[in-house]
Amino acid sequence: MSLLEFRNLTYSYNSRQKKPSLDNVSFKVEEGRRTAIIGANGAGKSTTFYSFNGIFKPSSGEVLYRDRPLIYTKEALRELRNDICVVVQNPDEQIFSSTVESDVAFGPMSMELPRDEVDKRIDSALAMVGMSEYRMRPSTQLSYGQRKRISLAGALAVRPKVLILDEPTAGLDPQMAREVMELVDELCCTGTTVIISTHDVDLIYSWAEDIIVLNHGDLIYAGEPEEFFSDASKTASAGVARPHTFSVNSYVSKMRGKEEAPYPRTNSQFVAKMAPEGTVGGKIKLVPVGDTVEPAHFNGHVGAYGYSAKKALKALGIPIDYEFDALEMCMQDAVKGLDSVLYCDENMIKMARDRIDSLETFGVKAEVIM
Amino acid sequence: MTDEKLLETRDIVYYYEGNKKPSLNKVSIVIRKGVKTAILGGNGAGKSTLFYHLNGVVQPAEGVVLYRDTPLSYKKKAKRELCSHVAVVLQNPDDQIFGQTVQEDAEYGPKNLGLPMEEVKERAKRALEQVGLWEKRDQNSLQLSYGQRKRLSLAGAIAMKPDVLIMDEPTAGLDPQMALELMELAEQLHHNGMDIVMSTHDVDLAYMWAEDIHVLRRSEKVYSGPQEGFYADRELSYSAGLLAPSMFQINTTLSAMRGVDPAPYPHTEPQLVAKMVPGKPRGKMEVLASKGGFDQGYIDSLKSSGKIVGIFGTEIRKHISSNNIMVDFFFGGFESCMSQLLDGKDSVIICDPDCIDLIEGKIKEMSAFGDPIDYTIGEA
Repeated sequence: MSLLEFRNLTYSYNSRQKKPSLDNVSFKVEEGRRTAIIGANGAGKSTTFYSFNGIFKPSSGEVLYRDRPLIYTKEALRELRNDICVVVQNPDEQIFSSTVESDVAFGPMSMELPRDEVDKRIDSALAMVGMSEYRMRPSTQLSYGQRKRISLAGALAVRPKVLILDEPTAGLDPQMAREVMELVDELCCTGTTVIISTHDVDLIYSWAEDIIVLNHGDLIYAGEPEEFFSDASKTASAGVARPHTFSVNSYVSKMRGKEEAPYPRTNSQFVAKMAPEGTVGGKIKLVPVGDTVEPAHFNGHVGAYGYSAKKALKALGIPIDYEFDALEMCMQDAVKGLDSVLYCDENMIKMARDRIDSLETFGVKAEVIM
Repeated sequence: MTDEKLLETRDIVYYYEGNKKPSLNKVSIVIRKGVKTAILGGNGAGKSTLFYHLNGVVQPAEGVVLYRDTPLSYKKKAKRELCSHVAVVLQNPDDQIFGQTVQEDAEYGPKNLGLPMEEVKERAKRALEQVGLWEKRDQNSLQLSYGQRKRLSLAGAIAMKPDVLIMDEPTAGLDPQMALELMELAEQLHHNGMDIVMSTHDVDLAYMWAEDIHVLRRSEKVYSGPQEGFYADRELSYSAGLLAPSMFQINTTLSAMRGVDPAPYPHTEPQLVAKMVPGKPRGKMEVLASKGGFDQGYIDSLKSSGKIVGIFGTEIRKHISSNNIMVDFFFGGFESCMSQLLDGKDSVIICDPDCIDLIEGKIKEMSAFGDPIDYTIGEA
């Protein structure tokens, strides 16, 4: 069963349009699959998003949620939007209220939840985006990056099944961008299906399992990223850049007469693949953080992955070397033969472990110590 | 490259109204003439505030700003004079676009310089062509897409023919094609004598382009110099909220593992590929300067040759769609063709005549990373 599906969907903003904004597009998004939508400006990404949550009704064709066609009545759409939340690129289109608190409250309030439940949700949503101290602030006094996080918190407070993010990292600096992606990882690990549209192919390649590529309203690819990126000139003609790790791996492998697979998607995986044979990796001590945490006695850099891990380490007064992108930083250390400790939200332990274990398929084993 | 100082700040301090903490705290930087310069830093580090100082829009509370070794004067007339030399393109185009026709918007700057109308029209046309918006000249500027508005605000600045063009996050919000085309335009302008300074937090893009960087962290300058020095200090770059560019990170780690010197540092994809796989048979590169007219015989022979074709330059971009040439790489053309060449394929770069030296320089840079590239230069 697919979670979301387009069947021969066509959408035009008005009848004078020569070419529809989406032209007979069909694809499926599977539950729990990390899915990215890419394409140049004007390719149809935003139109796709507004079709997912029923804001746009297709000119022809249909949208299915859990195999049922969307119903475009007010009541049904309201219910749908408790399940499917879209966070638009520009936060100012989504922030209406005078204070941060009332803004984040908007979603859960309109679901008619009891007040204490609304409060609880505001607390946790603001904590997840690292904005708890700003709860009583006027939304107008926030910076762009902060407003972007507040609009995300507004969606988190709804606790949707599907979270759709339009350019979540645009305009954010590298640290904030990585923090947003870490939050996305956390959501994925706790059962939310996340769909992201972005121009940052390097960032998305390290995240996405499937990509959907649009070009001038046409679907030109849906599936695992490698097959699409393998044709350099076809990728370019769709106005899409190739991720550096993909491209360099592809050229270097071909020129060395080796298989391109396995495909490295992060710098640590790339370096592991290109490392001299017999390179011995460092160890990563993986410490789960739940309601309690046992401080580890282990030499090496200290990383914190997930917001409760960061909170716990700060409460314990343990200095953190890697506060953002910590999993990748520890993996980079391991490939260099250095040891590290990664404090990790217990929900994300499995994912972290799988990624660290993946280094072995690229040629450098990093031992995980639990 | 020279050591001639173009712009300089000495210990400048600036407070926004009502703030107790300074937004710039004793910032001293020297921007060298002819040196491609990037200002890096996280959101809120002070990049935009610094830019407002460089063209005299904002006066520091303490310290001094110098243009060509002369302290800025903040008198009305002097400020106007400075703006004709130092143009700043803001991050948000809507702060710079006034909602007239596209052409009128592009004419605004040169008109204010008091130039004759004929010259104003000519400059606006040229600038709009350079950013690819001449076809849209009669549209209302507010009806343009974000990326188009962004290019329009750039055209307005280029039309003033400043000595220095300062761009605040020029590629933010643009798709990869637009971003790479813009970087190509920046290279071309710089090559033709305009100094370019840009702020960005796209470290990968900056790494490909900049010679000098200045890094701000929470209102203070923490680094000035070549990029390698900054990223080699992992703690410093990480604490500034910036991650090392992939090219840098991959090269330094692999070099350390092999126990070899990380220099020369590859800054582009083909440079990294060439360094990683030395001694392979390569294709040849043909650089063709063109004003856009191609005879059909040439187009046919190119098509059947199987060569990889890329383009470089703003003029040629305009012509190429009307010629029936199969272009493989419309953007990032040089790097893509060079990578394919390393893989044994012959390639052709069709470029504006004023870009020949620029392309030749890029080809010669490759020899630091392996055997020299076999190339020819011609005209079409």
